[in-house]
Amino acid sequence: MKISFRINNDLAELNTLLDQLQTLEDKWSLSRKNIAEINLVLDELVTNTIGHGDCDKKQPIDITLTKKDLKLTIQIIDSGQPFDPTVCQLPDTTLPLEKRKCGGLGILLVRQFCDSWKYTRSNNKNILTLKKNLPKECK
Amino acid sequence: METTITKDNNTTIFALSGRLDSNSAPHFEQQLRDFLTTPCTHLVFDFNNLDYISSAGLRVVLNTAKAYKAGKYLFHACAMQEHVQEVFEISGFDSFITIHRSIDESLSALPPVNGK
Repeated sequence: MKISFRINNDLAELNTLLDQLQTLEDKWSLSRKNIAEINLVLDELVTNTIGHGDCDKKQPIDITLTKKDLKLTIQIIDSGQPFDPTVCQLPDTTLPLEKRKCGGLGILLVRQFCDSWKYTRSNNKNILTLKKNLPKECK
Repeated sequence: METTITKDNNTTIFALSGRLDSNSAPHFEQQLRDFLTTPCTHLVFDFNNLDYISSAGLRVVLNTAKAYKAGKYLFHACAMQEHVQEVFEISGFDSFITIHRSIDESLSALPPVNGK
């Protein structure tokens, strides 16, 4: 099972993202918790792409979700500046409040809610592929 | 996201409803600006009707916690849905933000402010 959709390089598209994911709740038997986690992963990555990309250009972002048995694969492709989130330094969540900084929290959440991820740059595009194991209720 | 701001004695309550993400966070931060510059009451975020938070929302919460760290007024959070609470815990925010189960628990936990 597979869906693909394209969104514009624009934060207003986070709502499109949610609409698309909500259609999967019934179609793919995903729970609200699954949807919230997948939504968070895509939200953080898309928000990053919009922040790092060339904002003047309406660069589309292509998103594909594939579900095979209990494996979900998420692929995000954009043609913005090279950006590899898999090498970003994660924040130290044990630091006391006065030493905590905001940066890196989004990537930390992506890492937490996915089981693996891989970045490649090809044909001037960023290609990020994430895998997530779904609970057995999603069969 | 919708924000309802109410006052209960020496506490200001921000009741959040909907989704706190990179779309809604800038407006929320603006609503908070005066409270963060010069805190003059306790502050509680009531998350009961908040369905979703992303790192953009966490950033505002972190800045709020920092603004209240030194003064005599306190910042608490309450009534988080399971997914929102999980995001807080992954980020380690539960180590420095007091989270109560309900707004009533928060209000009874906040001390009276001396001289008021």
